[in-house]
Amino acid sequence: MKKLTSHQLGLLQDHLIRHNTNDALLAELLDHLACEAEEYLWKGYNFDLALEKITQEANSKAVKYLRETYRQDVAMSEEQLQTATLDDIVFEFRNKAYGAYDLRQSYPMALRNALILGISLFMMLMAFLSGMNQGEWSFISSWGIMWMVGVCGMAYSIGTWVFNRPPHRLTVPI
Amino acid sequence: MEASNNEFLRGTLKTIVLKLLAERGRMYGYEITQSVKDRTNGEIMLTFGALYPVLHKLEQEGFLLTESVEVDGRLRKYYSLTPSGSASAVQKVSEFERFVEAMQSLLQPQQGLSVG
Repeated sequence: MKKLTSHQLGLLQDHLIRHNTNDALLAELLDHLACEAEEYLWKGYNFDLALEKITQEANSKAVKYLRETYRQDVAMSEEQLQTATLDDIVFEFRNKAYGAYDLRQSYPMALRNALILGISLFMMLMAFLSGMNQGEWSFISSWGIMWMVGVCGMAYSIGTWVFNRPPHRLTVPI
Repeated sequence: MEASNNEFLRGTLKTIVLKLLAERGRMYGYEITQSVKDRTNGEIMLTFGALYPVLHKLEQEGFLLTESVEVDGRLRKYYSLTPSGSASAVQKVSEFERFVEAMQSLLQPQQGLSVG
């Protein structure tokens, strides 16, 4: 059995992407078309001819038909829609692995942490400046309490940020 | 037969997929189209546009398990039946057999109804 080179696979993938293939189906369709191409090669066609035949068959009409059937068949059910977040609905047929979905998911958390950290640093700065000004320092005074609250807030926001960070992805999915 | 738009085929695609997976255990998309084509001598040709939505739908309903394996530099997704998928395969096939029998008795020319 003849195998396709990575360049030839790239050509097939380009074709699929140009015709707006559904993200959820891209890898699978690539394998499908590659199998067809290999069958043509095995029958004795050269690759250019095989590619031409395949791209004719998987033209935009066929891919569009696929996309529409897919949307009808695999759409979220009523129950799922009840519990789905806006992100889930927006990303239903889109590539979640690409990164935007994760960013949106972690955004409220990041915003909250940044806010707490900002306020805490500000309180610490104010307490520090007033301490400098008065030339004496007591933890029991209102400035001292403000300083302690600021330290706690900073520790809390940095702590949650460190422990709840999603695992960093190093590989880029196809 | 014109493949994906065939109205008889559309209702039976799930049954076909479940039945094939019940027999063969683990298959990928292209393998399913080829095996349907071979066994029906080219009479039924599944297009990818019809097949993959059905596969993903069945997966979503919990009838299929998937497993992606890298083959020759690309990802190949293998499908196999879950226990509820196997049960559904048996049920769908028997329902379809009953349907075919009923259709056959409809298609046979009616006998014994002589004009009195």
